[in-house]
Amino acid sequence: MTTEKTIKSKEIVKLARVSRERRGRATAENRHLPIVLLIPAIIILAFVVGFPMLYSLYLSFTNFTLLSHASIKFVGLQNYVTVFKDPIFLGSLGRTILYITIAVNLEFILGLLIANAMSHIIRGQSILRTVMMMPMMFAPILVGFQFKWIFNDQVGLINNILYEIFGRPIIIPWLIERPLGFISILIAEIWMSTPFMVIVFLAGIMSISPEILEAAEVDGANEWQKFRHVTVPSIIPFIYIAMAVRSLDIAKAYDLVSIMTGGGPAHRTELIWTYVYRLAFTSQKFALGSAMSYVTVVIAFAFTFYFFRQLIKARQIRRV
Amino acid sequence: MKKRSLLVITISISVLIVATLLFPAGCAPKPAAPTETTAAETTATTETTAAEETKPGKPFEGITLKAAFIGGANYEEMYKAIPKFEEETGAKVEIVFKGDGFQIDKKLKTDFAAGTVDYDVCWDHSSFYTQYIKADGIIPLDDYFTKEELADHIPMILNAGMKDGHLWIIPRHFDISALHYRTDILNDTEMQKKFKDQTGKDLKVPETWDEFKETAIALQKLLPAGVYATEFAGKEEALTGRFYEVLLAEGGQYFDENWKPAFNSEAGVKAATMFRDLYKAGAMPPGMTGFVWEDVAKNWVAGNIAMYTEWYGWYSYFQDPSASKVAGKFDIARQPVGDGGIHSGWAGDHAFSITKASKNPEAAAAFIKFLTNEEQQYNESKLGFLVTRQSVWEKIIEEAKATGNPLDVKRLEFAQLQASEDFKTPPLVAEWLPSSDILYPILQAIILGDKDPKAGLDEAAAKVEQLMKDAGYYK
Repeated sequence: MTTEKTIKSKEIVKLARVSRERRGRATAENRHLPIVLLIPAIIILAFVVGFPMLYSLYLSFTNFTLLSHASIKFVGLQNYVTVFKDPIFLGSLGRTILYITIAVNLEFILGLLIANAMSHIIRGQSILRTVMMMPMMFAPILVGFQFKWIFNDQVGLINNILYEIFGRPIIIPWLIERPLGFISILIAEIWMSTPFMVIVFLAGIMSISPEILEAAEVDGANEWQKFRHVTVPSIIPFIYIAMAVRSLDIAKAYDLVSIMTGGGPAHRTELIWTYVYRLAFTSQKFALGSAMSYVTVVIAFAFTFYFFRQLIKARQIRRV
Repeated sequence: MKKRSLLVITISISVLIVATLLFPAGCAPKPAAPTETTAAETTATTETTAAEETKPGKPFEGITLKAAFIGGANYEEMYKAIPKFEEETGAKVEIVFKGDGFQIDKKLKTDFAAGTVDYDVCWDHSSFYTQYIKADGIIPLDDYFTKEELADHIPMILNAGMKDGHLWIIPRHFDISALHYRTDILNDTEMQKKFKDQTGKDLKVPETWDEFKETAIALQKLLPAGVYATEFAGKEEALTGRFYEVLLAEGGQYFDENWKPAFNSEAGVKAATMFRDLYKAGAMPPGMTGFVWEDVAKNWVAGNIAMYTEWYGWYSYFQDPSASKVAGKFDIARQPVGDGGIHSGWAGDHAFSITKASKNPEAAAAFIKFLTNEEQQYNESKLGFLVTRQSVWEKIIEEAKATGNPLDVKRLEFAQLQASEDFKTPPLVAEWLPSSDILYPILQAIILGDKDPKAGLDEAAAKVEQLMKDAGYYK
């Protein structure tokens, strides 16, 4: 009996070991399978993104221009030194940071207010949401042309409205004078992109449990107190994500500015990417343009890293 | 088994992707080779019946020529004649790219740099071709065009395509600017009286740049709101070019004989100051620093400008009553003279070149000869272009006399005169555009009052000198 039991136990143990080994092999295969299936995408990314990025990084350490491509030579960090000594680049960088700061914050405030207002509308909210999204449907180039016409000093909509109001020609060079040019571009950017914030915040607000808001009401909170102490803290992760995405989007601003002002006149509305484009493709200083691009990318990475750290902290606080 | 199939499929897709990315040329069809006739076929051809004619062989049968051209508006008309060339020569023509001047310039530069040129004939321009020489993208044309074939082109324009003793471009049409002025303003007796009362001088078409400035500033005080005495294109190469032609007229130079920037001389400061003073006095539209060619032309046809320098090529648009409020209300004059005793005359010509990558330069040359022959140039002249063949000029001036509009004739005679005496290209160096890219924002800053003319031009000169040094011009 004991022998039979022992044999059975040994068989069970053996079966269990075999079963564990098989599960282990299956788990290992399962672990590698997703990676293998991603190989085509990785190859495409490597060719389309990775290789050009590495090549342009290499070019940033050379004297490459479009016309003298045959006599390329290594110049070390010279381009990077030039970048940090270039007052136009430093001005563009400062202007871009200011542009991002103002645009993101105004879009945030407007987006939050509009989303909160929309969350109280019950009838027609879906139609309103669709209408809100319309500016996002236009390509930035089209928005640029639209606002370039709106702000045109001779035939533009704004100056014509002013003419109708005051009864005499009011010729304000919106796209020329400092700081009107900068403000005009900001208006176009905010008009185009606030709907994104609205949609994200609205989704966040709608995910708030109604019981929490009811509880706040029962405790005697008014609308402003509910908004400040319940709604906003509840949608912090949405806010961080929306602001991070918008910041990176605005940091890439090129088409809108290029169409409206070209970064001019006299660099008055020059942002980083309009300057880099002109440097690389019109002045043909490809290597210097590459160096500028990498400096900008490093700054953008640092910013994104900081933003997502804050997001993670915010989510941890929320869990607690 | 299922996972193994998935793996096999994944690996196959990966290999396919790599092959597609690495070897795209393998998918392109090869150009058809000229067919060779055998002796038997030749005999069979000669034994055709008397009723059939023996057709001569076409010189470029089986050859496909590819071209990258400027496109849009009136440029397109010429390309409609290409089937005629194909019929005559047996060659097939494929236009692989069409874009505006700046788009095609960027395409050519990037293609020459990347070695991805797949066309035989390309658009070119007297202001741009030196870059393409430096990029080793085009070939000299001396071996493909005889002196007799070139004799009909206006010599000054043909010479604009010569560098280092070789001819690089064949001109298609050229343009030069004339002073356009509103006859209903400058010739208006009421306006003339007010001007005389204000300044003590007669209101007349300015003949010098000093007169131009004085007249514009004084005239501005008499014009209604929204109408300006003058305007200039205010950005990019357009602004640099306008500054350049005033600089030359005032006796200055862009580069000296050692390729050092010389535009910050007294003549340059005077030219830049003129632009600044005109803007400061409100004699130019406030949005002027955002204008390029279409903008200044639109302002003119909208009736917002009293006088300004403009290319002849816009003439038919200006005289079209359905599009222009100034049709029949303007006249032209030669550009003003400066202290240097010469008239301004920044000019250029659109042209064609043969790419270094072309495998059929003889066919490409024949194609260019067709595009620039007398018939094509005459057709282009009907659209308002200033063509480069002297024989065509004689014909179109005679035809213009029959229209009954004296300006139709005057315009052509002036253009011909300017082409032979005032035609000035920018410096024939690849660094013209990059230097313009440094200079024009500074010119804008001078115009807007952000910088002093002398300080601004000195700053631009220092940067341009560094550009030339990096390009290897100084030993």
